[in-house]
Amino acid sequence: MNPKRHFVARLTTYLFLFMLIIITLIPFVYIVMIAFGKNVVGTAAVIPDAFTTANFSRLFTETSFLQWMMNSIIVGLVTTIIAVIFVSVAVYVFSRMRFAGKKKLFDFILLIQVFPLTLSMVSIFRIFVAFGLLNDLKGLVVVNAAIASAGLVLLAKGYFDTIPYDLDEAAMMDGANRFQIAVQIILPLAKPMLAVVAIQSFVIAYNEYAIASTVMIQGIDSMPLAVGIQSMIAGQYGTNWSMYCAAAVFGSVPMIILFYALQKYFIGGLTEGSIKM
Amino acid sequence: MKRIMLVSLITILVSASISLIVPHVAAETAMPVRVWFSQYEAENEAMVTLAEAFESETGIPVEVVPRINIFNAADDLVNNAELDDRPDIVFMQAPDIGRLVSSGYLRPLTAFIDDDLKASYAEAAFSAFSYNGETYGVGYSIDSYGLVYNKSLIATENLPKTWDEFFTTAASLTTYDGDEVLIYGTLLNSRDMWFNYPLMRQYGGYYYGNYPNGDYNPYDVGLDHPGMIEYVAKMKELMESDLVLQSKIGSESDIVSRFANGKVAMIIYGLWYASTFQQRGIDYGIASLPDGRETSRALTTVQGFVINNRTEHASEAERFLRFILSDEAQQLLIEAGNGHAQKLGTRNPANRNVMASDYVQDDPVLASLSSLNDECEPFPNIPEGTIWYNYTTVVFQSIFFGDASGNPVDPQQKLTELADRIRADVALMNYTAERIEIPDWIWAVAATALIIFLALRIIQSQIRRRNRKGHENRLAFRETVIAWTLMLPLLGLLAVFYVYPILHNFYLSLTDYSGINLHEYGLIGFANYRSIITAGLQGLASMVVWTIIFAVSVVSCSFLLGTMLASVLNKVSNRMAKICRIIFILPWVIPTVITLLMWQGLLATDGGLVNHLLGIIGLSPIPWLSDPRVARLSSILVMTWFSFPYFMVVASGILKAIPRDYYEAARVDGAGSFFTFFYITLPLVFRALVPTLIMGFIMQFNQFGIYILTSGGPASDTIGAPGATDLLITYVFNTAFNTNRYAVAAAYSVIIFLFVGGFSAMAMRIGRRFSEV
Repeated sequence: MNPKRHFVARLTTYLFLFMLIIITLIPFVYIVMIAFGKNVVGTAAVIPDAFTTANFSRLFTETSFLQWMMNSIIVGLVTTIIAVIFVSVAVYVFSRMRFAGKKKLFDFILLIQVFPLTLSMVSIFRIFVAFGLLNDLKGLVVVNAAIASAGLVLLAKGYFDTIPYDLDEAAMMDGANRFQIAVQIILPLAKPMLAVVAIQSFVIAYNEYAIASTVMIQGIDSMPLAVGIQSMIAGQYGTNWSMYCAAAVFGSVPMIILFYALQKYFIGGLTEGSIKM
Repeated sequence: MKRIMLVSLITILVSASISLIVPHVAAETAMPVRVWFSQYEAENEAMVTLAEAFESETGIPVEVVPRINIFNAADDLVNNAELDDRPDIVFMQAPDIGRLVSSGYLRPLTAFIDDDLKASYAEAAFSAFSYNGETYGVGYSIDSYGLVYNKSLIATENLPKTWDEFFTTAASLTTYDGDEVLIYGTLLNSRDMWFNYPLMRQYGGYYYGNYPNGDYNPYDVGLDHPGMIEYVAKMKELMESDLVLQSKIGSESDIVSRFANGKVAMIIYGLWYASTFQQRGIDYGIASLPDGRETSRALTTVQGFVINNRTEHASEAERFLRFILSDEAQQLLIEAGNGHAQKLGTRNPANRNVMASDYVQDDPVLASLSSLNDECEPFPNIPEGTIWYNYTTVVFQSIFFGDASGNPVDPQQKLTELADRIRADVALMNYTAERIEIPDWIWAVAATALIIFLALRIIQSQIRRRNRKGHENRLAFRETVIAWTLMLPLLGLLAVFYVYPILHNFYLSLTDYSGINLHEYGLIGFANYRSIITAGLQGLASMVVWTIIFAVSVVSCSFLLGTMLASVLNKVSNRMAKICRIIFILPWVIPTVITLLMWQGLLATDGGLVNHLLGIIGLSPIPWLSDPRVARLSSILVMTWFSFPYFMVVASGILKAIPRDYYEAARVDGAGSFFTFFYITLPLVFRALVPTLIMGFIMQFNQFGIYILTSGGPASDTIGAPGATDLLITYVFNTAFNTNRYAVAAAYSVIIFLFVGGFSAMAMRIGRRFSEV
């Protein structure tokens, strides 16, 4: 390839990345700035005139922040496990089995999600009452698992379909049964997608606010983080932007760790090329 | 290292699941009186102390439940009023009681309130909780405002006593440095109707008039009172003399931050930012509004205690309520609520003895705050109370700053339009459709029809099965059974959390469930649908077009950007890629609400960071969120910012599965990276993502986040019509919720469900053609 053209291509690539990094970082830096800012009154102030760590120490001493975060991590992790299992099973069924009503069932799963769940809080609340799940983290796990599984089945199916069926057939020739094929051949190949499913389920459960704020009503210490954080700006007297942002910065750490831990599964690009068609 | 991580992960998970599975064993006592109280720890502790004292005195146990904030109290009471662990006493805001009373959720306390109690509390403590001649609660704290002033700019004795004095004093205190204002005598927000209420009253305007017996008459709207024209003229005059915010999008926080910087002498405000004033060294005080004792009173929210009408131990609850309303108990609670020695001003006692106590009187600010208690007007507590609030900001913005294209509007005409709109909303809110009775035999017929239908379907499929060959048939049947069995757990979850809400919502849309009829709603047939169709929607066509453009642009932009990033990051050095990925997932992992609020601040036309940065490189500010067209573009860009990381990660995963041969073959043919991206990567990723993209499209269709960013604005020139960035769903829900017509909202959601569902089914069909070639 022409070295000059190569250089220009690289330059554009880096410029593109650089600009995108700036755009991505500005709001985040802004959050961090407010978190450390002193006497922040509104969000449209340009730069706080003094900085302090008091917002963080208040966060840990005056609120149940750590407890909230622990609650959310628990809900997030358990939801993730359930969702990964449900999605794997469902997607195997959709991608590898031929059965009556398959297309209809798939469309059904997609279409029920058209309905904005968070708008029918009356109905959701009734379900929680009927199953005795009010004020219980278990309830949040169940509802988040439902939301995450329903949404992610669609994503995972598209990916599973790219795994060639020849592999199954070859294994079947070797005498492997269906369960062995699923666990030993398909699932390992689907690792990248399962990692994405895991992260996204965790994010859904960790950040869910509308349902949690309606069904977790008794006991400050049993609130998930999203509800707790929101109380800092919907407080009764004005709004504490700094503590709110401090909580947001600190609260996103578990998700970044999870992402970091799982990213080896879905990056690496073409180098492995494990699938041959 | 890996093993340690694995072990610790497993430990965490196991302990997590144990804590979830093992029921929380609560020490079950004999049905205590349950009190939903405060969000302040100290205040709850004080309440627990009182509860213990009460129990040792009477033997009645009391449970104090801390709450996360007071705003949800009413809604949560409605949800929980009849459950086993229902609250008996609830701490809530007086403006919320109207709709609770009309649905029978609150216990009348008129008999409970005796003369002793009346004598020891400010009048607002009861008047705020009075509705249709009955009193339903007792005030505890009075959240009011007054004239907050900077003592180093104006001495207490020079404070104005009348509004005319206020204007002249303010003008004389205003100092300039050239064209720039150094000190503002006062700063008002012309768009605000909460803090300007006393001023508006002075000119004769009001929100809701009263019936002769003193109850509010929601049909009597006073915003088109002739005096309002004078009010508008006065505000315009003040604006010219720099006493009113000049910016079309200015807000209270602009005023407060200037006051906190010592640049304003007097503001009409409360003490919500007192700690900031203190930290900045402002020597502030709060005093009566000009003419405060007479006509112009501050609009006030009273917070107090009510009793759940469905309580199972009313007499015990009343006993405990009386116990905590005693002077000593109130003293304890108020001191705790104000952070004891900190004297934060968070709670302003309604109890007269506490008002007179040393704790309050020794602190000049607390003392002057409580002296305002007899000069306040409780916010209308009728269910219609907040309707005006939905429109006034937009209307007054156009009166003072012109309509969307900047042309001046006729104030009289605009105010009449506003008042008419409010009256129309009040009428809508109080409209009750006729209930219908469904005879039992209809249910029987419907059930039989359903059974026959299902039976026919089963027979049909049996016949189809029999037509196939034996072996294949048996195999297909077995496969079907296995498949459905495997899907059963997921389907169960979906049935509970998706199908039931949809059906229940459909049922609600056939009833008269509304803000004034929360409990005993009944079937009214298709009346809600009929009213939706006959009323029509202003600007429906353009809103639908915008919604589709929005959803399509956001999904396609973030898909394109995400895929591009995923493939670019495969080409740069490993270390760089790792850092980039961590940066790029930030929009995805930080709670959306928070970043949306940040974007709102960043994109503010005046003083937002983005325009500030543009100013540094010499560009003029861009009206990111205040110009209709730019706001639409901004909302697409911001929402893309939120969803591209997801597509980046997903696409990275898919790229991993693309066989290398494809690229090698392309390279042999001499294709450049541009070509390979658009002709190999993009189509392959797209094919794998068709269902996800459709899903993403649906999600954007139901995107409520945009409302946090723009509130649907910039608003249209017609009152109540959709704003420039209003999506179909945000608009209809706001219209229905502004008037608390929940059943109508349900009907809307059914209609939108069918509409978007049809659209997605179509997209699905087209998508299949793409993905199965």
